[in-house]
Amino acid sequence: MLFSHGLMDIFYLVIFPGFIFTMTIGLLSTQIDRKISARLQWRVGPPWYQPFADVVKLLGKEIIIPEGSNKISFLLIPFVGFAAVILLSTMIWLANIYPDSSFVGDLIVIIYLLYLPSIALIIGGSASRNPFGALGASREMKLMLAYELPFLLATFTIVVKNGGIISLGGILNYQASNGAMITQGASCIIAFIVALFYIPAKLGEGPFDIAEAETELASGPLIEYSGVTLAIFKLTKSMLLFTVPIFILSLFAKNIWTPWTILWYLLILFFIILIKNTNPRLRIDQALKLLWFPLSGLSLAGIILAAVGL
Amino acid sequence: MNSAMLLWAVFLPIGTGVLCFLIPDKAKRFREDFTSIAALASLIISTIVFLGPDAHFQTAQMKFLPASFLDFYSSDFNSFLIVFVSFFGFLVSLYSIKYMDGMKRLREYYPYILITVGAANGALLSNNFLPFLGFWGIILVTLFLFTTIGSRDASPEKIFNAASKNMLILGGGDLALILGIGLLWQLSNSLNMSEISIPLHGAMATSSFILIATGAFSKAGAMPMHSWIPSMSTAAPTSTLAFLPASLDKLLGIYLLARVALDFFELNFSMNLLLMIIGGITIIAAVMMAMIQHDVRKLLSFHAISQVGYIVLGIGTGTTIGIAGALFHMLNNAIFKSCLFFTAGAVERRTGTANLAKMGGLGKMMPLTFVAFMIAALAISGVPPLNGFVSKWMIYQGIIEAGIAQSWIFLIIAMLGSALTLASFVKVGHSIFLGEKPHELGEVKEVEHSMKFPMAVLALICIVFGVLAQIPLLYFIGPVMGISFPEIGAAIVWTGFWNPTSGTILLLVALAIGALIYLAGRGMGMRTAPPFIGGETIGEGTTNSLNRGGRLTEPHETRVLGTEFYDTIRNMGILKRAYSKGETGSFDIYSLGKYLQPIGWILSSWHNGRLSNYVSWILWGLIVLFAILAFIN
Repeated sequence: MLFSHGLMDIFYLVIFPGFIFTMTIGLLSTQIDRKISARLQWRVGPPWYQPFADVVKLLGKEIIIPEGSNKISFLLIPFVGFAAVILLSTMIWLANIYPDSSFVGDLIVIIYLLYLPSIALIIGGSASRNPFGALGASREMKLMLAYELPFLLATFTIVVKNGGIISLGGILNYQASNGAMITQGASCIIAFIVALFYIPAKLGEGPFDIAEAETELASGPLIEYSGVTLAIFKLTKSMLLFTVPIFILSLFAKNIWTPWTILWYLLILFFIILIKNTNPRLRIDQALKLLWFPLSGLSLAGIILAAVGL
Repeated sequence: MNSAMLLWAVFLPIGTGVLCFLIPDKAKRFREDFTSIAALASLIISTIVFLGPDAHFQTAQMKFLPASFLDFYSSDFNSFLIVFVSFFGFLVSLYSIKYMDGMKRLREYYPYILITVGAANGALLSNNFLPFLGFWGIILVTLFLFTTIGSRDASPEKIFNAASKNMLILGGGDLALILGIGLLWQLSNSLNMSEISIPLHGAMATSSFILIATGAFSKAGAMPMHSWIPSMSTAAPTSTLAFLPASLDKLLGIYLLARVALDFFELNFSMNLLLMIIGGITIIAAVMMAMIQHDVRKLLSFHAISQVGYIVLGIGTGTTIGIAGALFHMLNNAIFKSCLFFTAGAVERRTGTANLAKMGGLGKMMPLTFVAFMIAALAISGVPPLNGFVSKWMIYQGIIEAGIAQSWIFLIIAMLGSALTLASFVKVGHSIFLGEKPHELGEVKEVEHSMKFPMAVLALICIVFGVLAQIPLLYFIGPVMGISFPEIGAAIVWTGFWNPTSGTILLLVALAIGALIYLAGRGMGMRTAPPFIGGETIGEGTTNSLNRGGRLTEPHETRVLGTEFYDTIRNMGILKRAYSKGETGSFDIYSLGKYLQPIGWILSSWHNGRLSNYVSWILWGLIVLFAILAFIN
């Protein structure tokens, strides 16, 4: 019984909704991103299989390790972020499919697991012995501090609103009986808007692509990565591109286990792509100011509204 | 039999400590071994006490002392604490063999360790307030003496300042404690801890609670009684930092706070709120200060303060799970914080500096220290599945249970606090272990086995208490709080749920997926190449001509300093002002001392060194005493 239960968990993790599923959709999402960005810039854009081809090609490249770097940390850390995203995606989907089951952890666990991909980027950049990598790492950490405050406020607006339900399945059940969170008053609408800003910041997409900043830091933390390790970082990022919006949708827009989710997800994806292509990159101090003052102020107002019942 | 064990747990370390003074400096090896063995013996005795049934020891009526003056008892709460006290004593004595090598006053140093262990056991096991205060005072004295031994790089003036600050703040805390206990005695008519349980009504009870809590805060280092820890951190040997402010003082201070908040008084809402506010402020203010420090010991000392905030917050929730989480966090904090101080000491021993700007790239040369540091740093930042996450998670459950609509602000502060904690450890990790080695630093070796062992053991406990969190919860925390926690493998369910074991297994499976991908792509080989810095080549000498043109290409010249990581944040509008105030000590209770200076002038004017003056003071004192006695009779 216990064994078959464990086997089932591993199936969830590896095939659906974990690794294979998340990776496929994630890579397809990056393809949508690349195609739309190309069209916005009057280019043709890559063929549909390009992201997959990129990963396969990277798997066929040799790994170059920077001389005198911390080899073990440098090689190991990309996989930590990768593993965390797989687990996260599985947790979020299973909460949607079986809201009553308790798989691994609650909302707090999800928020803390979301640290790991960023930690991977930071330690990777720091271990690479490259000054650009180190600069990128420090920017990623600061960016993380910047978006964490408004994001926490926005997420816990929901918890305040639903009276302290902290498991994702519980939040979905609450929404099933009371209607989607976003329809429940001004506080939740504010929280949703703030959460929308969180997505590009977490993903490091423009205008928050401050850590990688291709034109300044030549990909920052990723500068020394190549071959499989770079492929792992790319996969992590594309899986996050799928997982983070799905997480936000589960929090705000009812159960995602419906066809409507595809439309919702595409809308969010389009929003990210649009912002990314129309806004220049912020400096790190500008990002800090934007996320700490106007956006945190807004979400603070939201959570206070929720606390008084609006 | 077990009741005699209680006496052994207290007086064996103290007795061996006193004996240890007699060992001459020539028998250096013997002294070190003797201390470690005595600490180990104390650990064994404490474990016997822990495993045995609750015991009680009382002295009979004696001529000068009231009955049951020496009154020791073991309960679920204090018996696991004494195990950890002796455990830390053992690890510190082992670590000190190499770390303290070549320092002065070792003849006192080792006895102090044992005496501190015994006194801490005594304070924890005492059931009567009077011996409790005695043991409590001994720990303050040994702390003071440890500080006066001094670290390698501290000037005598700095050591003097730090030691007197310890004495004043902790002494003030102890004074408050004594006054609080006096009031409590008035209220309950008993000095017997297990008999006291009174409702928190009226000014007297409230002031008694606040006074005792102040004593606990100063010991544990919660704000506003925190400032002795940062000043001690740069003056005292790092091993003593791992021993007292990082572990023993936390265990003792929180033990007292928990006893006063749970047993002696029945707290009301406003006192709980007060505790939560103090906890929240401590978390955020201390971690913000930690982020900008350049000295690794000082940085860690601010974290030692910040983590107390979580514990006070957890106790302040007043919910079972919140308090259980706080007690678990107390234990976890002692574990990872002393591990971090040990790693800092190891690095300091090998590089001769604690300045973050002067280190870098040591991870390769000190692999075990690096791994232990990483585990402890991630644990303190609350990264799952390590132990810090579990206890923080429990505290959060407590906050939610206390009423999310009122207490959300504490939840946000606490969670943001762990992101800030992570940030400051990213800085330390980059500055010491990753990053680029500065040119001045020569070849660096890993430390000796006797220093590796404590770090490795503590890092291992960080993992075990995280992944198999049910073990400490079932055996240490559950019995204290009267909660039954699930067996290993099952999820800890409260408002939310967290299954550390299956979470870890699934993370490992996901890592295995990554490993498979790695194996699929590894066939193409691996090679090393110099880091790519804008296409410039890095080599000995070849770039010197380029450097003269102002272009930097040697990696150690393009070193990104971890100490500059958060300058952006430091220089932001309002934070800049807050930081400059924090740096000049505006938030330091010690600096209030300057307003008391006139009293000092008066007192020092009395001390004119004339014998006749002192004799007359003594005479006057005697007359007053006789008058009072005569009046009473």
